[in-house]
Amino acid sequence: MAARKKHSSMVPRKKHYRPPGKKREGNAARYITRSQAIKQLQVTLGFFRRLSILKGIFPREPKKKFKGNNHTYYHVKDVAFLQHEPLLDKFRDIRAYQKKIKKAEAKKNADLATLLRTREPTYKLDKLVRERYPKFVDALRDLDDCLTMVHLFAALPAVERAKIDVELIHNCRRLSHEWQAYVCRTYKLRKVFISVKGIYYQAEIEGQKITWLTPHAMQQILPDDVNFSVMLTFLEFYETLLGFVNFRLYHSLNVKYPPILDPKLEALASDLYALSRYIVSNTRTSTLEPKAASSSTSEQLEAKEKEMQADESELRLAQLQHQLPSNEPGALMHLMEGAECENEDDQDTKECKRLFKNMKFFLSREVPRESLLFVIPAFGGVVSWDGEAAPYKEADQSISHQIVDRPTQGHRYLSREYVQPQWIYDCINARIILPTEAYMVGRIPPPHLSPFVDNDAEGYIPDYAETIKRLQAAARNEVLPMPGVGKEDLDDPQNLLVEGYITRAEANEAAQTKKKMVTLEKQYHEELQSELQGAIMKKSKQGSAEHAKTSEESVPDTKQIAEDIDTMSKLGMSRKKRGLLEAIEKGKERNTARISKLKERKKKLKSSEN
Amino acid sequence: MGASKKESVEVDKKKNSKKTQPTKKEKHNTEESVLAQKQEDAATDYKELSADDDSEDYKSVGESEAGDGESSGDEGNHKSGSSEGLAIDGQSEDSEPDQGAEESDSSEDEVAPRNTVGDVPLEWYKDEKHIGYDIAGKKIKKKERQDKLDSFLANVDDSKNWLLSPTRPSYLLYLFFSQYLELSYSIVPISVALCEDHELTERGVKSGLVRGMNSGVYFEMSHIGMTYLVLRPSLGDTTFNGSKSRRKIYDEYNDEEVELTKEETKLVRRMLKGKTPHADFDPYAVLGLVRAIRKGFIKFDKPKEEPRFYMLWGDDASSSEKTGHLSYIPAPKPNMPGHEESYNPSLEYIPTQEEINSYQLMDEEDRPKFIPKRFTSLRSIPAYENAVKDSFERCLDLYLCPRVRKKRINIDPESLKPKLPSRKDLRPYPATCYLEYRGHKGAVMSISAEASGQWIASGSSDGTVRLWEVETCRCIKVWEFGEVVQYVAWNPLPELPILAVTVGQDVFLLNSGLGNEEIQRKVKELLHVETPTAPEDSGNKVSGWSWRQDDEHEGIRLRHFKSVYSVEWHRKGDYFSTVMPADILFFHYHLIAVLFLALESIVLCIVMKSIIFHPTRSIFFVSTKKNVRVYDLLKQKLIKKLETGLREVSSISIHPAGDNIIVGSRDGKLCWFDMDLSSKPYKVLKCHPKDITNVAFHRSYPLFASCSDDCTAYVFHGTVYSDLNQNPLIVPLEILRGHASSDGRGVLDCKFHPRQPWLFTAGADSLIKLYCH
Repeated sequence: MAARKKHSSMVPRKKHYRPPGKKREGNAARYITRSQAIKQLQVTLGFFRRLSILKGIFPREPKKKFKGNNHTYYHVKDVAFLQHEPLLDKFRDIRAYQKKIKKAEAKKNADLATLLRTREPTYKLDKLVRERYPKFVDALRDLDDCLTMVHLFAALPAVERAKIDVELIHNCRRLSHEWQAYVCRTYKLRKVFISVKGIYYQAEIEGQKITWLTPHAMQQILPDDVNFSVMLTFLEFYETLLGFVNFRLYHSLNVKYPPILDPKLEALASDLYALSRYIVSNTRTSTLEPKAASSSTSEQLEAKEKEMQADESELRLAQLQHQLPSNEPGALMHLMEGAECENEDDQDTKECKRLFKNMKFFLSREVPRESLLFVIPAFGGVVSWDGEAAPYKEADQSISHQIVDRPTQGHRYLSREYVQPQWIYDCINARIILPTEAYMVGRIPPPHLSPFVDNDAEGYIPDYAETIKRLQAAARNEVLPMPGVGKEDLDDPQNLLVEGYITRAEANEAAQTKKKMVTLEKQYHEELQSELQGAIMKKSKQGSAEHAKTSEESVPDTKQIAEDIDTMSKLGMSRKKRGLLEAIEKGKERNTARISKLKERKKKLKSSEN
Repeated sequence: MGASKKESVEVDKKKNSKKTQPTKKEKHNTEESVLAQKQEDAATDYKELSADDDSEDYKSVGESEAGDGESSGDEGNHKSGSSEGLAIDGQSEDSEPDQGAEESDSSEDEVAPRNTVGDVPLEWYKDEKHIGYDIAGKKIKKKERQDKLDSFLANVDDSKNWLLSPTRPSYLLYLFFSQYLELSYSIVPISVALCEDHELTERGVKSGLVRGMNSGVYFEMSHIGMTYLVLRPSLGDTTFNGSKSRRKIYDEYNDEEVELTKEETKLVRRMLKGKTPHADFDPYAVLGLVRAIRKGFIKFDKPKEEPRFYMLWGDDASSSEKTGHLSYIPAPKPNMPGHEESYNPSLEYIPTQEEINSYQLMDEEDRPKFIPKRFTSLRSIPAYENAVKDSFERCLDLYLCPRVRKKRINIDPESLKPKLPSRKDLRPYPATCYLEYRGHKGAVMSISAEASGQWIASGSSDGTVRLWEVETCRCIKVWEFGEVVQYVAWNPLPELPILAVTVGQDVFLLNSGLGNEEIQRKVKELLHVETPTAPEDSGNKVSGWSWRQDDEHEGIRLRHFKSVYSVEWHRKGDYFSTVMPADILFFHYHLIAVLFLALESIVLCIVMKSIIFHPTRSIFFVSTKKNVRVYDLLKQKLIKKLETGLREVSSISIHPAGDNIIVGSRDGKLCWFDMDLSSKPYKVLKCHPKDITNVAFHRSYPLFASCSDDCTAYVFHGTVYSDLNQNPLIVPLEILRGHASSDGRGVLDCKFHPRQPWLFTAGADSLIKLYCH
């Protein structure tokens, strides 16, 4: 080392000359390709993939791709990070152990094999979760993919060949239900959207908007060209992550995690209901006491009490043990805090809580029960269904709405309204109770609109969105300005950029002067011509005709001028900026093309109707 | 300890080799002791057998056991009873009663006198939970059957028992296990195995058929259809002793080699340690234990399970430590679904059948990935076929896509445009077409404005040169040449209204006939040349040209050997130069004042495009195809080379101050060179989609213009500051339109008015236009 130093000090090295075998510099030193990384870690590609998925290591883009475009580049530090992961050693151990089992099996030593199987080394991912998400908010921020995946797997069939076993699916189901129960119980759900792909839900927890997709409750298709081992590795991490998140969320409600469910309800595949009941009963027993002491009983509490009396039965025993800690004085304090927290609920939560208040729903057999069981209570409604262990029967007179999805409804109770399930979702997205006429049995419901679209930014507003807007305004006792007036107000500083406005004005002005000039010029020419031709007589007649022409021509002229100004302003730009501007313009163009297409289709539809 | 072990091993061997025949009494003894031991061990909690990692636990247990074995005989007693009870439970009826009686008898005889069960037939206790009463009158409870396993193990390990036993305890163990593992219901009194053949039939297994064998005893219990072989242990045969092969035991009975895992060896050793000396060397003891462990009869407590989930994010406040790792780039979230993805979208979102068909014709990449569909009710939605695939693709994106943190550009496009001074402030500049000069029949190739600004001359492809009055559009004069007029240029001196015109291979110097009489006289004098003299003078130097008086057009005619492209006057009007598009430049001195044509020529073997003179210094600029060369006229050498980077230079013009030039190119680009700045362009303006035909600077106003074959002319503002630190300001001002295209050519020439901010343009549509402010 010293010798080398000496050498380098003696001979001034050229900056760009690198003797063979010496250290690299620049991008080549900072990044390595995937195959290099695998070589360095001494693992197989599968191992590497697994490890990088679990650790959340992703390729990065070097400024200069020194090995070419078709390589994946990892940062050297990322690879070092993988190298020091204890899980790497653990994986190696596991692999060695698997070999033992294989060997025993090959030697027909079934005893040994089974024995070995019972003691396979395991690993835990909790450290990784903590490492990747140092704060709880970080975890929530990244929860979208996790929830979508877990919900998807909860709907998949167990397949032997894809190594999707039953336990995994059950675990996914459990986790997803636990999550939904929390969201439902705390009224955090904000938006729901039924798409062809499934049902999108959006919840807002700790200020983070979390969106996930659940597939429709159908038999899912497992394609052949999907590498399930990749998905399962992701799922493995996601399960752990969601478990910890659920733990934390349940903890914040003072509910023990994992929850113990009523086996009967569980068997009936209404885990969600069982869960929410578990949470309710667990938290409520605690909230009741201080409230009773202060002798202030709100309506809601009474309602809850009633509900509780109704369903407090076999659950009681199972839950007693969990309630014990909550009876301690310390726990009581916690509960008080919890009550305060509820008061501190943001406006949104309060609004959501109140949406279906005092409404009682009943679900027919054919509606998607899981979704509605999740959604309706999340907005303060009470719900029951057709089947065993339902809280109340169809004959209950207090039911206000029955959700049906069939062409005709035979027997009808007069005291309730029969609506299609879309009504619920539309109400939720609009945050008002919509009129039910359009959603009656047998009718084709009005279009279901995505709540994730910012209609104003989109540039095109479907009719039904306008209707809903008006209804919302009516609900708020407000009067909306007539459409078309408020929007195009030129004074609006946001819409009109000063610069743009000025240039446009200038263009107009220029166009006008030009127009004048043109007319003058024409006149002059004409005069000249007439002079030359010696036909002064016709002058007056022709003049009027020319005037008409010029006025016609001037219209495209102004456009031309605006265009000219545009092109000229582009002249002085640097190439980079010009490219950017062109890209922006292209995007805008695409958008306007899309919108115009929509409008055109709409026009066609209307004309065909008429 | 080690020594004693060795001894005992020796003893073992001795016994083995001798195979002493134990007396009946002795056998009884052993039997009793074995049983006693069994019970004793049963007393110890099962759980203590746990395979916890710390072996100390285990040791202590073993010790206590050993102690028990020595001290408490009564325990052993009542437990022996219990075992019998169990035996009764499970055994086939015929063997039960006498066996039970026997054992109880013997226990009374020999083991400690605390047995309280008494001589009561054991059937009496059949349905009870207890088996008798102890000395304190308390019930002695029956033990569970599996306890026997433990007791047996311990029994085997008991050193005392070992010593007492006339036969090998390993026999017992092995037999026990092999029986226990095969028979599902009960334990056959195993001490039978120790006996000789004839005794086998006597005890326990009455209908057994016994055959003597070489190394052991074979017997068959026909009533249960089982056969057993009791083997003599022969330590020499097993490979258990060697330290390396310690984990392999050869089982003679099954004729197989049992391999122990590391953990099993550890466990067995731990179980046998400190009990009987050398027990862990005994292959059968070990084998038995191992079998039991493997079959799950010896259960170990599983390690305590920690709760899978716990409070991972306890206090977020404290967890703000830096990771010291690269920054994590969160993956972008998938796009939110729009209205069109709804199961029941508005009708206008659904494409018509024709549109869907047209998608098929599109390129794979352009084809929309999602085609909206409408379902009239919720129940009719089918499963989404790509659910798994979408999810998988998202997974791939997450771990395979390189992530880069990019700033989201949410900028207003207006802000991208450079801040330019308002065009209002830069007035005056030509903006609108004011006049048209009509008269030419063909494309106007070139125009030139007279120095006073009153006249313009234009040359056209119809073979005429016309002289126009600027303000009245009147054509004053027409010269007919009969050949395409390439270029016209006024002498820059107002007092010498001479016009240079290039037609084919000729350059004509024409008297325009303007000005008062004195001027006319002067001009006529100048243009009168004696024909023959000059060529003779210079013929030997350059033979490529000749000049003569042209009476037809009242001027001088200079004939070149190639067609001449353009003529350029020196600012003083004394010299002019002609450019031939073919390779060679001829450079003429025209010393008109002396009425004598002195000539020197510099021949440059370069493809010429155009040339200009420097307005103040004796420098001139020659543009070749890609570069602009700057020559010093006095020194007659190259000063500078400007690299345009253009495909093909078409025209060049110089700022009146002389430090900046503009170059127009065939690819529609206009370069501004600042001579003081660099040899590279200061600014490149890509303004025209087609060739730039000409560029021009205004003489006094800070204006320059370019015209192009796309029928437009651009007018720019170009201020050059005297402060060297300040870069020239270039502002595009106006796009002038009006010319029509003919034969793919648009505006062919543009010239500024020498005094006013007006621009003349010459179009291929045979028009000349004047644009005014």
